[in-house]
Amino acid sequence: MNPGLLSRRLLVVVGAGGVGKTTLAAALGLQSAQRGAATLVMTFDPSLRLKDALGVGEEAKDQAVPVKAGTRGRLEVALLDAKTTFDRLIRRYAPDAGAAERIFSNRFYRDLAGNLAGILEYMAVERLFEVQSEGQYDRIILDTPPTRQALEFLEAPDRIMNFLDSGAVRLALRPWWEESGGLGRMPMRLAAKAVERLADRIVGRRLLRDMVEFFRAFSPLYDGFRDRAQEVRNLLRAPETLFTLVAGPGPDRIPDTLFFARKLREAGHRLGPIIVNQIHPDALAARREEFTRAGDAFDVGLDLFAYLGERDARGLEQLGRLLSHEEPLLAVPLQPVPPTDLTQLAALGQIVLSQKPV
Amino acid sequence: MVLLDRLATCQLIVVTGKGGVGKTTIAAAIGRLLAARGRRTLLLEVDPRESLHQLLGTEPSGGSILKAGARLFAQNLQARAVIESLVREKVPIGALARKIIASPVFQHFADGAPGLKEMSVLGYALRTVEGDYRHKADVVVLDAPATGHGASMLAAPLVLADAIEGGQLGEMAGDLAEFIANPKRCGVVLAALAEEMPVQEAIELIALLKARLGRPPELVIANALYPEFPAGRAGGPAAGRAGTAVTAQALSDLLELWRQRREVNERELKRLRRSWRGPLVEVPLLPLDRGPRLLGAVTSVLAEELG
Repeated sequence: MNPGLLSRRLLVVVGAGGVGKTTLAAALGLQSAQRGAATLVMTFDPSLRLKDALGVGEEAKDQAVPVKAGTRGRLEVALLDAKTTFDRLIRRYAPDAGAAERIFSNRFYRDLAGNLAGILEYMAVERLFEVQSEGQYDRIILDTPPTRQALEFLEAPDRIMNFLDSGAVRLALRPWWEESGGLGRMPMRLAAKAVERLADRIVGRRLLRDMVEFFRAFSPLYDGFRDRAQEVRNLLRAPETLFTLVAGPGPDRIPDTLFFARKLREAGHRLGPIIVNQIHPDALAARREEFTRAGDAFDVGLDLFAYLGERDARGLEQLGRLLSHEEPLLAVPLQPVPPTDLTQLAALGQIVLSQKPV
Repeated sequence: MVLLDRLATCQLIVVTGKGGVGKTTIAAAIGRLLAARGRRTLLLEVDPRESLHQLLGTEPSGGSILKAGARLFAQNLQARAVIESLVREKVPIGALARKIIASPVFQHFADGAPGLKEMSVLGYALRTVEGDYRHKADVVVLDAPATGHGASMLAAPLVLADAIEGGQLGEMAGDLAEFIANPKRCGVVLAALAEEMPVQEAIELIALLKARLGRPPELVIANALYPEFPAGRAGGPAAGRAGTAVTAQALSDLLELWRQRREVNERELKRLRRSWRGPLVEVPLLPLDRGPRLLGAVTSVLAEELG
């Protein structure tokens, strides 16, 4: 069995969109449970097929749902939903129900807060922390958001902390237009008035008021929020946490893969195996001519597959050369069809775990 | 009217879709077709890691505008740079503008404010075709960033216009929302792979475009399809290719992989067609590395299908 992947309590699966991350996370979760570990797979946006295969639906957004897999350890799946988590967080940290309601009814929160850069990502790590600290699982496998810049996800705690620490929030909280302060503060107030006029001209008074109201309603929550961000940040760098990077095949994808690997290392994360997924077989590559000049209807397809096999082998070889670090490179062949049930999913997990590093 | 004529009347064409579906290639091919029609065309890439230049066979743009053919130009646009140049425009005192741009509050605002980057990119496109800059183009082809939902780029002005209501930013959002919603001025091309998740996302995005912007896309492109599997010839291919170093088992595994991958493509195309009755172009997976030859081949396919 491959040493790295299931050796820690927390496995974070990262990579560009469309490389089969979510399916691999589920497949590895199944294998983890089969090996006796109580396992939770946390994922963002699984396909209908994968949800069907696992037998879970939308209810997994609110809480983890058990998968009837008959594994030695139990397997559960949770779907990550930013809005649900944000709401829950506000309820938890609000001093009273009224404070929470003020936030929920704020227009800025309703329309825009969910779109604030990093919020979706932050909510995912937040949820991870919540589950981790409850300690109900031997292993958690976390699938990350389906964006090319999925690393925003990892930077989210830092970004939120920076944001809360920066002047932005305090500035927004200062009641510029309220009559307060003595004459001595007159110049300050005049300057603030000028800033307010400028801001009003650019973004309009209503948005300003909504934002200020939001940040005010939110202010009792800051300390709890900030402490959590710090703890989440630590968890992602803790010894029990391992990252695996899933990459697409072929030389085109190499810049993405190198970028991710470098970023993870720079941020101080522990990077385990790099999985190059969906590799076309290169059985024909060396015999391309022979196989594609038969003059029949198969020529076009066989020529394409010969090219794809050669391309993916070339990509793997180049990537191996460019990655000067010690992470093992696992080559996972393209499956004829994406897994549609638990048996196929388990088989895929087995294939991944049985790969010898390239 | 053939579809290409229709696209050639637009001022902005947004090519959208998830990462890894060949969006940049499709955008570049459309750009070349429009330039060949006599339209002065600017291809905009919004990704700090440039890849458009590989297809065009040019140097990386590094933010500046490059010539990539007759009437064809390319630029890698950084949203942050557009936002900063807007500040410089609005705040005529240089020192003050520099101070604002360097302040942490502004940095957080520029990075974090929802929709601001999307708006600045769209605003840049609008001003390019309206001749506000020294460079002017008849049409901008925008390779929309793969981050977030495919609709976030297109919906950003609308969301902001609703939330802001007033102020210059609000007015700008309103203007842009109108521009995007007008099918005479703005065309949307949706690129997808004929696989489960990409098709699901394409279907959702089409519904979202109709619901939020009141308009469907002009065109959906199913990219990188495996070729049709020749029917009813199970033992055939091996016979013509006997006596080689490849084992019969390896060959039959490969044929099986081809047949099944194609089956997935066909099933997903069928599903896509059930919810999308508008123009759908199929582009094959080609045995070519990413580069000018691939772009040339994809451009020919689109020329044939759209022309």
